[in-house]
Formats: sequence, structure tokens, C-alpha cells
Amino acid sequence: MERLKFVGKRLLYMIVMLFGVATMVFILTKLIPGDPVVANLGQRAMSNPEVVAAYRAKYGLDQPLAVQYFMYMGNLLHLDLGTSIRTNNEVLFELKRCFPATIELALMSIILATIFGILFGIISAVRRNSILDQGVRVISVTGVSIPSFWFALLMLYFLYYKLHLFPGPGRLSNTFSAPETVTGLYVLDSLLEGNTAKAMDALSHLLLPSIVLAAFTMGLITRTTRSNILDVMSTDYIRTAKAKGLSEAGLILKHALGNALIPVLTVIGLGLGNLLGGMVLVETIFNWPGVGQFAYESVTAADYPSIIGVALLIALNYMVINTIVDILYGIIDPRVRCS
Amino acid sequence: MKKKLLALFMSLAVVVSFVGCGGGSGSGSAAESSAVGSAANGGSTGGESADNGSADGGNTVVIAMEGEGLETFDPGYVYEKYAHVVMNACYENLFKFYGNEGTAQPCLADTYEFSEDSLTLTVTLKDGITFASGNPMTSADVAFSINRCKNLKGNPSIMTDTIDSIETPDEKTVVFHLTEPDSAILSKLTYNALAILDSEVAKENGATDAEDASSADTARNYLDGTSAGSGMYVLTKYTPNEEIVLEKNANYWGENASNVDRYVIQLQGDANSQMMTLSTGDIDVALNLTDDTVSELEGNDSVAVLNDPTKTVAFVMMNMDESIGGQVSDPKVQQAIRKALDYKGTQEIVGSGTVTPYSLIQDGFMGSKGTRDVNYTNIEEAKQLLADAGYPDGFDIDLTVTDLAFEGTPLTDLAQKVKDDLALIGINCNIVTQSWAAGYGDAYRDGTLGFTVMYWGVDYADPNVQLEFLPGNSVGLRAGWQADMDPDIAALSKACMEATDDADRTAVLEQIQDATYEYGPFIMIAQAPAHFGYNTRLTGVAVSDPYTLDVTMINIA
Repeated sequence: MERLKFVGKRLLYMIVMLFGVATMVFILTKLIPGDPVVANLGQRAMSNPEVVAAYRAKYGLDQPLAVQYFMYMGNLLHLDLGTSIRTNNEVLFELKRCFPATIELALMSIILATIFGILFGIISAVRRNSILDQGVRVISVTGVSIPSFWFALLMLYFLYYKLHLFPGPGRLSNTFSAPETVTGLYVLDSLLEGNTAKAMDALSHLLLPSIVLAAFTMGLITRTTRSNILDVMSTDYIRTAKAKGLSEAGLILKHALGNALIPVLTVIGLGLGNLLGGMVLVETIFNWPGVGQFAYESVTAADYPSIIGVALLIALNYMVINTIVDILYGIIDPRVRCS
Repeated sequence: MKKKLLALFMSLAVVVSFVGCGGGSGSGSAAESSAVGSAANGGSTGGESADNGSADGGNTVVIAMEGEGLETFDPGYVYEKYAHVVMNACYENLFKFYGNEGTAQPCLADTYEFSEDSLTLTVTLKDGITFASGNPMTSADVAFSINRCKNLKGNPSIMTDTIDSIETPDEKTVVFHLTEPDSAILSKLTYNALAILDSEVAKENGATDAEDASSADTARNYLDGTSAGSGMYVLTKYTPNEEIVLEKNANYWGENASNVDRYVIQLQGDANSQMMTLSTGDIDVALNLTDDTVSELEGNDSVAVLNDPTKTVAFVMMNMDESIGGQVSDPKVQQAIRKALDYKGTQEIVGSGTVTPYSLIQDGFMGSKGTRDVNYTNIEEAKQLLADAGYPDGFDIDLTVTDLAFEGTPLTDLAQKVKDDLALIGINCNIVTQSWAAGYGDAYRDGTLGFTVMYWGVDYADPNVQLEFLPGNSVGLRAGWQADMDPDIAALSKACMEATDDADRTAVLEQIQDATYEYGPFIMIAQAPAHFGYNTRLTGVAVSDPYTLDVTMINIA
């Protein structure tokens, strides 16, 4: 009951915050210089007053700012995010189209980052100051500091172009067509279609961009896991457990890891939120039609409804993830539950 | 513990490698197919899992091209450069360019005739033309398509500026009444936005050619996902930022000489990715290579490269209005700048295949006087001209530039080159960068930029597009070049419009180029090349001015 109350409260906050975000982004997009007419009409067309007037009228840009705002917020109440100035499609439709690609990539990345990050963190902590520890630390620092677009090109160049170990850019090989959309996640949809070869192909296309995107979060998780395990290992209850003769593996897995993972959960949550916002450069290099590319194109076209739509989506991602992380805190750590 | 961790790590590594190599072998098989002449042929891969091949196991060609900016495939709105690849395959026009040289030739038109006063163009349609739907094409479809484009008031509606009204006296005849003689009307009618739509299908899906079409027409979303034309191919799938699929039109009315059954167009903007996927055989044609990536392909026998000039030009603009242009509004200073610029160096920055137009008309257009001699640069002469203008020690000036790229070369790079060149004669440029959508575009349109480097892509393949640079016309006015400043040059614009005879028009175009060779607010500094790469199993791949790539001309050898 308490937990339901907690979730209900968070949902209410989320709705209020989303309207706040919408208002803020709406004002900001109107404040910054940028004219959709200039961004979208050609050099000759923008000199034609009749064409410019028709364009402004079509997208309500000829209305006073206050009218535009109240119209937008009114529509938002009906979950109508408006029409994209650039593509002429509903913004909701565009987000539904590109978000699954980002979700699929983000989930794969966060899974890889979490598995390898925690694993490396444990190894590093257990073998503190050994060559293994130094090696893991080099990997994690590299992962955090390497520019993702450069890492993407590097990975593509060596692992795809030179060594042919991974498939090239795109979500599927040319030999497959996209599966019937159920979830928009190609691996899952291919499995639902009963085509395991296509699912494997989609999975293999996910790997290289996922590894690139996972590098940063994995570095953070490794470092957080290592430092937290080292902290926990020096606490009294671990010393007591050790004195009782518990094996090193039992000590870490049963007693230390649970406590050490709480801050790691925050890092994973933030990492996932970050990934779900889309990564423009990596998406461009890997020809991945996700939210990042959509956001970039919307910004360059001064496509205000789409920009606000993406901002709302990103805000919603963080809110949902934070709520889930808060709930998970309670599950992992009874002290949080009590408080 | 150590062993357990090691075992867990190794298991994960094996899983990752297995899946990775699985995919790799998939793409590898495509690469192998490429070597034997069937890259990306869905049919060749076969099997129940490979479902992207033609149903009959036919030939598939995979093209990679820039997807950013692709907004629509509705003929009434289409304007972006790469959309023409698709439009030209799926739709047809009354006239068409069958190569980069020469003039527009009849396509759907059988015969055409201008009235003596050049104010009426009568076109007769060929017999037996049908749309992909099977509907026969009539003059009503032609009138509907062109009126719709005009009344939608979108980007390409400017193509119909000189069309006053359209009459259809019978099913085969279309009569265009023009507002003024327009020597480029046939070229304009080749433009994809004036392609002929199946009006019955279009109307069923919300299209209208009424005067209020800009608000009443609702067919765009339908036409973005499918085509309703008479072209050799049909648009069967469009996933934004991902891929476009074209299938051969089974109901094509003419002879489809291409043996390509299916095109998969991957929207892949990154030049490095295009180079790698072309090299491995995953794609057959790459449309957005750069100088660097082209050099990476050297020595690859299965890949051929094209570095051919387009009609896109970069230019320096010096405002003629002294209150805006300051020192650069002086014709002597303008000529000094013209003499100081290093055209050869600029060509090297833009890449192999770049040329410098003789003057306002690009090399390759009808009536063009070709290219400017790269040794035109003369620093001593430039210094003297500057001294004659009253600036023996030069001067300081802002050079505004925007965040756009000129066929892959950032305009900021060109501005830096102009700055370096002018420093040699004492003109110190302060480069001011402004975003296109956030300031520069408005200032450029309103003619308030004093000194800038910009580029111009042609709307339709006709030298008349360059008339906009003349005094009193849209681009001329952006440089503060009023018609009354140079009435003789301004008059050439009208003369060119009225010269419906090619020889007469060529003569006027040559006059325009001579008049602006060493005079005026514009200096054309480079005509950009396109860098294409393609698998040598294909024939007919060529850089096309009007269509970027004319896929109807491609065959698999």
C-alpha cells in the first residue's frame, strides 16, 4: 500500500513536471533566434511573400505567441504533440517511429555496460593494485574519456571493414526486410514473426553500436563498483564475516555486493536515461534511425513541435527511470524501505 | 573465485563474438556475392530467412545516400536534392533531361509548340501512357498536377511562377498560358515537383488542385509513403532515416530497359560508413563520398569512382549598397578582390573535380563560357586596384559566413581561404559566423549582409536559374544590386527569358557572362564536384545534375 502511494505521488509529480518542461522548452525555443521559414524554405521560395505567408499560416506561426502557447498546451492535454513542421507528420507518430530503435540500442548498451562494468569493478576491487586492476582501470578511464564518434569510426573500421567480425551500419542486413511492427524492437519483432535468422541478424547489428555506447557507462559503473566494494570491504561487518571464515567469493557476492550496488544503480539509471535521449553522432555513423537523429534534424529545421516533443520524451525517460531506481533502492536495501 | 569470474567473462565474450561473427558472416556473404557480381542481391542469398530479395529472385541494387533533409516524396512539395533520385524513378514529366548536356527532351510529351509571341505552349501527350495503378494518363492529370503544385504554395511552387493558366481542350492536349515569355519553361517542366500525378488516386487520398490547396490538400502523408506516378519504379517503402525501397513498375507503359528489379536506398549520411560499406560490397552505389574517402578506395578493383562537377557554386558576395557593404561596395575594390583570390587553392580545398566558373553561368550549362583561368590571380594588380580605390594600406572588414556546407566543404573553410588570400593585399577580414536558421538566413534574404561567402544550388537544370544573380532579381537584390544601378545588365535578364530560340539565348547568356566577368558584386569561386563510388558490376551510373543519380539508366552487367 505504501509503495502504491509512493508510485501514485511520483506519477502526479511527473505530470506537473512534464507541463513545466513543456512550458520551459516552448519559451526557450521561441526565445532563441531561429526561423522555421528560413530553415525550411529554399533560397528562392523564401523571397516569395505569398509562399512565406502560406507557410506561416499552415503551421500557425502567424499567430501571436500567447495563442500558440495556449493552443499547444491545450493540445498537450489531449496527448496531441502537434504536427512536425519538417515532416508534416504527427510528432507522436514520429516519436513512436524512432523511439523503439533508440530503446533497443539503449537496452543492449546498458546490459553490456552493467554486466561488464560490475564484473570489471569486482575484479578490480578484489585484485586491488595488481596488473589486472591497472588494466581494468585503463579500460574504464578510456571508456569514459574516448569520444564516442571517434570510437564508433574506429570500431567500424577495424571490426567491420578490416576484420569482417561484425556487420556494417544499419539495423538489419540488406537481405532482410524490417519485421512487422509490434514493438518496434527488431530483435523481438523478428522473434514474434518466427524468424530467428532475422532476429540473430538484428542482434548482431546491435552489438557494435551498443559496445560503442556502452563504453562510457561501463567505465563509470566499473569505477563506482570498485570504489564502493573497497569501501564496503573495510567495514566492520565484513571484517566480522571474514573472521568467521567466509570465503572471499561468498564475502563479496553475499555480503559486500548488495550494499556496494546501491550507488551503482544510480549510475545505471542515469546512464540509461542518457542513452534513451539518443546519440546523434553514433546514430549517424551506424545509420541508426533513433531519437538522436530525429532531434538533430528537428533542431536544424527549427521544427518547434518536434523539439518540444523530444524534450518531453527525454524528461519522461529520466522521470520513469528515477522512479524505478527509487523503487529498486527499497528492494535492494531494507534501510531505504524503512525510511 | 578467480576461476568463476574468468569463466563468466569468457562465456560472455563467447556469446558476443558468436553473435557478432554471425552478423559478420551475413555481411560477408554479401561481400562475397559482390565479388562474383551480385552484391546485395537478395535473391542470391535465398533461404526462408532472407526476405528482402525480389519475389522472383531478381536483381537488387543497394544505394547509400544522405538522408538528412529528406522531408517528402509528394511531388507538390518535393525540393530536396536527394529526393530527386526517388522522384525521377517513380514519376515522369512532360520533359526530361536524358544527360547533363543539352536541353530538355520530350518524355510524356509527344510534340510541343510555342506560339509566335511565346506566351502559349501547346503540348500533346504520347499515346498509351498509363500510371502504375493502371489508370490511363490524360491532359486532366497534367493540369491537376501542375495546378496543385502551384496552389500548394510550397517550396517548388516557384517553378510555376510564369504559368498563368492551363487549358485541356482534349484528353491529349495541354495548353500552357504564360504570364511572360519563359525560355526556361521546358526545363522547369522537367522538375520533379511538376511530375504528373495519377489524379484519381491522389484525389482519393485527399489531394486537390484548388486555390486553397495549401490548407485543404491532405495527400502529403499518403504520397510520402507510396508513389502515384507513371515512372519505371514504384515507391513501396519509406522508413525515415533508414531506407527507401523501389520496386519495378509492372504496369510501365514504355520500355523499361533497366534490368534492376529493385532498389534499396539506405539513408546513410556518413561518408566513412559509405566508403566502408561500398568497399565490403554491402552497398553498390555511394553518393556522398568525400575526397578523403575516395582516396581510400584506390586499388579496389570492384569499385569505380566518379568526381564530376555539379552545378552547385560557391561565391563571394559584396554588397553594392555602401551603407551595408562599406569598402567592398566599390567596384574597384571588388575587382581587387577578384584579382587577389586564389582560385586554384580554393579548388584544392573543395576537392578533385572542382572547377571555377568563368562567370555567373556554371560550366556545363547551355551558353556557358566554361571556366575561369586559375592563373587569373594577380596580387600586384590587386594591390594597385586597391590603391586606386583609395585603400593603399588595405582595410579591416567583417566577413560573415554561415554554418552550412558546400557539397561537403564547410563554408567556414572557404571563408578562411578568402581571409588568407585577401590578407596578401592588406584586407584584414574578421570572420563572423552565424547560424543559417538563427540570423544569417534572414540577413541574407533581406540583403543586409555586407561581405559574405555563400553557395547556390540550382533549382532546375537551366542557365536561367542564374538570372537571379542579375541586378533587380532576387539574389542580386540580396547584394543590394538594384536594376537602376546597371540597367543594361538588368535588361539582359528579360532578354534571356524571352529568347526561346537556343541560339538567341546562348548569345544573351554570353553577354551576361562577359558583363560580369570583371564586374559586379558576385565572384564565383568554385563549382563543386560530386564524389560517387559504385560497384563495377553496374553500368550507367553517372552524376546527374537534375536527378543526382538517374537510376532508370542503371543496369547490372
